[in-house]
Amino acid sequence: MPATISVERQMLPMLGSPNQGARFYNPDVPETEPFVPGHRTCAGCGPSIQYRLTSKASGDNTILIGPTGCMYVANSSYLCTPYNVPWAHTQIGSAGSFTAGVAAAYEAMIRKGKWKGPFPNIICEAGDGSASDIGIGSISGALYRNHDCLIICYDNEQYANTGIQASSRTPYGGMTTFSPPGPKVPEAKTLFPKDLARMMAAGHPHCYVATASVGYPIDLMNKVREGLNHRGAAFLMIYTPCQKGFVYETPRSIDLGRLVVECGLYPIWKWDPARREYDYSFRPDIMRPVAEYLKLQGRFGHLHAEHIATLQQFANQQLQMMNIELPEALVRAADPSTHRDMAAAEAATAIAHTV
Amino acid sequence: MATVLDKKKTVRINGCVASAQAAKYADVDVITAYPIRPYTATMMALAQMVANGELDAEYIVADSEHSQLSIAHGASSSGARVFTGSSGVGVQYAYELYSPISGSRMPVQMMIADRTLDPPGDFGSEHTEALSTRDMGWIMGWSCDSQEAFDNHLMAYRIGEDPRVLLPQMVCQDGFFVSHITSDCELPDPGQVKEFLPPYKHPYPLDPRHPVSHGPQIMPEQGPPLQLERARAMEGAAPVIEQVHEEFAKIFGRRYDAWIEEFMTDGAEVVFFMQGGHAVTARYAIRHMRERGAKVGLVRLRTIRPYPTDRVMQVLSKFKVVGVIETNMGLGSVSSGGSLYAEACAALYQANQRPIVVSFMAGMGGEAIVLKEFYWMTQKMLEAQKRGGIEKRTHWVGFEE
Repeated sequence: MPATISVERQMLPMLGSPNQGARFYNPDVPETEPFVPGHRTCAGCGPSIQYRLTSKASGDNTILIGPTGCMYVANSSYLCTPYNVPWAHTQIGSAGSFTAGVAAAYEAMIRKGKWKGPFPNIICEAGDGSASDIGIGSISGALYRNHDCLIICYDNEQYANTGIQASSRTPYGGMTTFSPPGPKVPEAKTLFPKDLARMMAAGHPHCYVATASVGYPIDLMNKVREGLNHRGAAFLMIYTPCQKGFVYETPRSIDLGRLVVECGLYPIWKWDPARREYDYSFRPDIMRPVAEYLKLQGRFGHLHAEHIATLQQFANQQLQMMNIELPEALVRAADPSTHRDMAAAEAATAIAHTV
Repeated sequence: MATVLDKKKTVRINGCVASAQAAKYADVDVITAYPIRPYTATMMALAQMVANGELDAEYIVADSEHSQLSIAHGASSSGARVFTGSSGVGVQYAYELYSPISGSRMPVQMMIADRTLDPPGDFGSEHTEALSTRDMGWIMGWSCDSQEAFDNHLMAYRIGEDPRVLLPQMVCQDGFFVSHITSDCELPDPGQVKEFLPPYKHPYPLDPRHPVSHGPQIMPEQGPPLQLERARAMEGAAPVIEQVHEEFAKIFGRRYDAWIEEFMTDGAEVVFFMQGGHAVTARYAIRHMRERGAKVGLVRLRTIRPYPTDRVMQVLSKFKVVGVIETNMGLGSVSSGGSLYAEACAALYQANQRPIVVSFMAGMGGEAIVLKEFYWMTQKMLEAQKRGGIEKRTHWVGFEE
């Protein structure tokens, strides 16, 4: 056999000012736009904001893989796709496997002299339906085998492009067309979300695993780069609100991206594969009760006091898992008597029939 | 042509190992495996070749057949030559991927060693699993021994990767009857393969220097031209298949008819129409019956997709009776037997002279079709000839007097 050629890997620098989300101009942010405007996603689409940040962080030597989901259906219109880098659709259950195929191809082609250049950034953009349900096995396979790639779950907590159906990432109390509220099931979704990112970290401890939110763009972009720089597989789960499914005022996507972290419903952390431990050093500026996050969204408009308290208990548990001491106010907020029913239960029902 | 063929050698190997050898000679870049009998032996052989350093390829043990085929899809889309395979329910577990792979025009190659579907969950060979995918845009055909399997794999790469074709290929062989029975197989000189099979070069791979989008979402009115294009690729493969068989014969010295093998059809009045490894037994049976005066022959289909409709019509219409040996299930189908009957009859419909066509359900569940069953089927065909019509469309061999 001919001598093999060694594979050159990219190493992307971290962005400065890893702030906690202030909206200010950061000169480090690359100008390149691998994901261009003009696509058909909804105004305020969280996954699209994430897509732009991710691809900016990754740069032009990138290949994107798009399993079926919003970022395929609403973005990849035939003959006018918004990707300035190679992009391929794959099946909703093939997120990890198709990505693994691309990574394996480049390993072999570079090694055998059939393709010349530094190993590309290979990024899979899977929705939470793909990542937490139908494609979870394929992603686990890719992480386990440690292909040099980054698999992102853009988590809008539901199947959105099919018309808002519950996924295993939909929160307790979240209304979807498959989990509507009614007299027998007043809280709508009765199950708590699958802790996907922790599953991936626990099951594949050699991988870089982290969570992020569109509310904290520099942190998000740095985690994309850390994941790409990591030699081997990486997994990111990113909170990306969906205006259509969450039913909120369009300009508030970034606000929600911050509130969900501040209230403890979306813990931000990273798993350090070298030290084999969680890094919980990320802290939001302030902490808030979950009601402040819930009340902005029509999908929670039907909740009764005890449901809000249940969600507060859940958020408190999440914060405690990160060794965060609970302020007295949050402990108190886990008591149903401190809440009132969301007033707009009837309004929420009306919304349920329009999504 | 390579003048020195000093590395050419004849070995005695089974169909599975022949397939693995073909992948090695084709210098594949990415192999993706998932275990299921009987094709597993192919992947075992390749794993050892990679471990020994005889073959430089990424060897990926997938988490399912669905993942296997999507890994193959991703790797082929990136410009790598890919080899994968499966058997039985594994072929069907991956079903979702067959149309996307042919639709994106990626020449993935898949080896299939047939296995009966569940139930009854036995290990035997039946063609149902592969035939159920026959309209998904893959080039497809059956080999009947290890040499033909080796040759078909090399030819399939050459055909599928031809820029005029760009289609995936299923290179099928009967489980056990071919996959696990050894026969002599000539392995070529690598120089011959180099001459025959140029490196894989897809015109639009996923390459950051030449960005393209694969498989975007379309509007309904954009669908028909894309489907027509795929249909034309399949039709356009036919002349390429013939050309490749011709070049193969020139370089390797083994000549196959691209579509059909006729065995002792001179003067035959009744013929079997079948695919795959049972044809080996059929040839013995036919020789024996010819000695006893029965005018029987064999027509073996070598390529079922693209289907050689005119050729089948021209060949089969020469005879009085055609007995289709199914080796596959077509529950509630045209003949209430297998699916090959409909393929034969549809090709014959436009013929000026149509033979009587009868379907035999034989080799079901992976049982061997033994000589006396071939004699019995011949008897049924001769009776139909005498009667001038069928007794019934489908005979379940072994269940009738």
